[in-house]
Amino acid sequence: MTLRQAAEGKQYRINQIGTNDAELNAFLSTLGCCEGQDIVVVAHRRSGCTVCLRDGRYSFDSKLAEAISVSMA
Amino acid sequence: MRLALIGNPNSGKTTLYNALTGRTETVGNWSGVTVDRREHPVKTALAASAVPDLQGQDQLVTVDLPGAYSLSPYTSEEGVTADYVRQEQPDVIVNVVDSTNLSRGLFLTTQLLELGVPVVVALNKADAAARKGVRLDLSALQEALGCPAVEVSATNGSGLAELLATSVRAAGEPASSVPFAPSCPNPTNRAQAEEADRERFAFVDRVVADVEQRAVATHERGLGDAVDDVLTNRWLGLPIFVLVMFAVFQISQGEGPLGLGKILEGLLTGAADEFQAQVAEQLAGANPVLQAVLVDGVIGGVSAVLGFLPLVMVMYFLLALLEDCGYLARVAVVLDPLFKRVGLSGKSVIPFVITVGCAVPGIMSSRTIRDERERRTTALLASFMPCGAKIPVIALFAGAFFDDAGWVSTLMYFSGIALIFLGAWVVTRVTGHRGRRSFFVVELPEYKVPSVVGAFKSMCARGWAFVVKAATVILLCNMLIQLMQTFTWTLAVAPSADQSILASLAGPFAYLLIPIVGVCSWQLAAAAITGFIAKENVVGTLAVCFVGLQNLVDPEELALMEGAGAEVAGVLAITKVAALAYLMFVLYTPPCFAALGALRSELKSAKWFWGGVGLQLGTGYTVAYLVYTGGTLLTGGALDVPAALAGLAAVLCFAGTVAALAVRAGRKAAAQQVAAAAGESASDDPASSKPAAA
Repeated sequence: MTLRQAAEGKQYRINQIGTNDAELNAFLSTLGCCEGQDIVVVAHRRSGCTVCLRDGRYSFDSKLAEAISVSMA
Repeated sequence: MRLALIGNPNSGKTTLYNALTGRTETVGNWSGVTVDRREHPVKTALAASAVPDLQGQDQLVTVDLPGAYSLSPYTSEEGVTADYVRQEQPDVIVNVVDSTNLSRGLFLTTQLLELGVPVVVALNKADAAARKGVRLDLSALQEALGCPAVEVSATNGSGLAELLATSVRAAGEPASSVPFAPSCPNPTNRAQAEEADRERFAFVDRVVADVEQRAVATHERGLGDAVDDVLTNRWLGLPIFVLVMFAVFQISQGEGPLGLGKILEGLLTGAADEFQAQVAEQLAGANPVLQAVLVDGVIGGVSAVLGFLPLVMVMYFLLALLEDCGYLARVAVVLDPLFKRVGLSGKSVIPFVITVGCAVPGIMSSRTIRDERERRTTALLASFMPCGAKIPVIALFAGAFFDDAGWVSTLMYFSGIALIFLGAWVVTRVTGHRGRRSFFVVELPEYKVPSVVGAFKSMCARGWAFVVKAATVILLCNMLIQLMQTFTWTLAVAPSADQSILASLAGPFAYLLIPIVGVCSWQLAAAAITGFIAKENVVGTLAVCFVGLQNLVDPEELALMEGAGAEVAGVLAITKVAALAYLMFVLYTPPCFAALGALRSELKSAKWFWGGVGLQLGTGYTVAYLVYTGGTLLTGGALDVPAALAGLAAVLCFAGTVAALAVRAGRKAAAQQVAAAAGESASDDPASSKPAAA
């Protein structure tokens, strides 16, 4: 499933980042958003979601949330 | 001895820099406030108390750098920081780590430790960590990393002396050991770099597990998340933002009990008028030319500008509070869907809000936007937001023509926002990028109670810069304007200002303004031109040309002014609609030269720069023309038909050029799409359509 379908407050493991934007992937990777890392959706919004990566909060738009596939940790 | 402050964005490097050096550099609670490097010696008293045996010639210099998440190759945005560390070799790196987010901060730490430069870890925001119940085992951390670590709080000043003493000690010792080495130390492709990142995170996780204890896990919902739910709510987010900005404008520039700026302005203007009258009295018997230059040119012009200082300062204070509390990142989230419709993203919001203070840092802050076209478009359109220097111009026209009505100022800001949207839409058409939408990710910093002391200091620093500008650039311009309108080209005193040097220079431009003000006024043309040097000059020049701003509109006041200057320039009777149109022309045409310089260096393209200046000129003129012509027709005023037709021709010429460019770009984009589709169908191999990064 993608991050867009992930339940709020549950811990997921990132399987793949499918943005097709290598530079963005490298940037996300430095935030701890890369394959094998844990991620929690704190809140969904219509236009995106707030996620918790390591100990920081980030807002992803829905297009990015749909490009990240995750599975239950 | 150089101490380089390096750390993640929003880890508090600039707050620490200010605390160590006593400077008042802009701080803000979002990622990417600092976009360039700067350096300054540590405060003498602090350096002396921390390192008593430091030799005089061995001064401690702190270097502040933009935030970086990583020094990995393949990330472009942290160029300044990575280049600095590799090329300048500081004596010691002070790695600023946010104590509340160790698991992300230590990623960069492990990279810094590989550089062969002594590293001291400054665990900043120690006070915030204590409040959140985050406890760190300092000795275990030092052991795991193999370098010294000091707990500090840049906001309350604790641990600063210890940090300096530890840094000086570390600088004299060999570089720290390397606690972690990835299996592939020199990655040659992205896949290897990503693998190295994963290994590094695994090491950091082990360290954090050993040294950190948290009372509450970060991913659990807290008060901040509840506030986010409201501020970024689908229905409430936008109205709340509009309300916040309206409150900022109302308090700084509006009338009434909430209009703090206006209340303070009243006190200052009285004092300035008294001073001007006193000087005029002292110079009563002096040469009339000298009297006019000093009283009307220098004091009149400068005090006309300085009179608006309270409005500007109140605005700076409120903006500093807004920047400090963490709300701006949420505004970026709220406005992202709207900006996406015109080819921008939420990232553009922060440059636009900073421009409300000053366009130069506003344009520079667009540097943090990754996408080149988005970055250039943001820098180009930022100056449509009226900056602090334009407040005096708005306040002057609101006061002179509209009885200080609050809607004038609000209308100017919201028209600016509308023009940004329109401009962004035009740029997507002209560059042929419509339909392309980028991904949007922004860090949401924790909310904090904004520092009133910090906002006060920021207000004083920026207010002082405003005074200095008034006492130098504006004063010089006003003197020149006064002299140029006093003399003819043969350097004789002009019988009337209409025969002066200024009138002959500005005269030709006055014809261009007829379609937007309805009269041929060289004074208004001169003010618009001097506005390019600094926007406050519009007020200064009008004050000089009309000897007191009252004469701009009120002929009855002239009788009172006759004694002050024999060569009264005259009285200008323009309608309210014309005043509004002229104000919009001044606000939305290209900004001052300083902002244009910043724009040029950010755009890094002559084509974009001149295209942008053309767009700003065309937009400003078109808006002013439409407001004047439409307004005059609606209010039943008399329209100068030949001038209106000439203006219409100019506007159509601009619109036609934009349309032609858009059509050309559209055709080019369509041709590229066809070529790409042909290329795809030619290669039927499914493997070749996989993304390169996979």
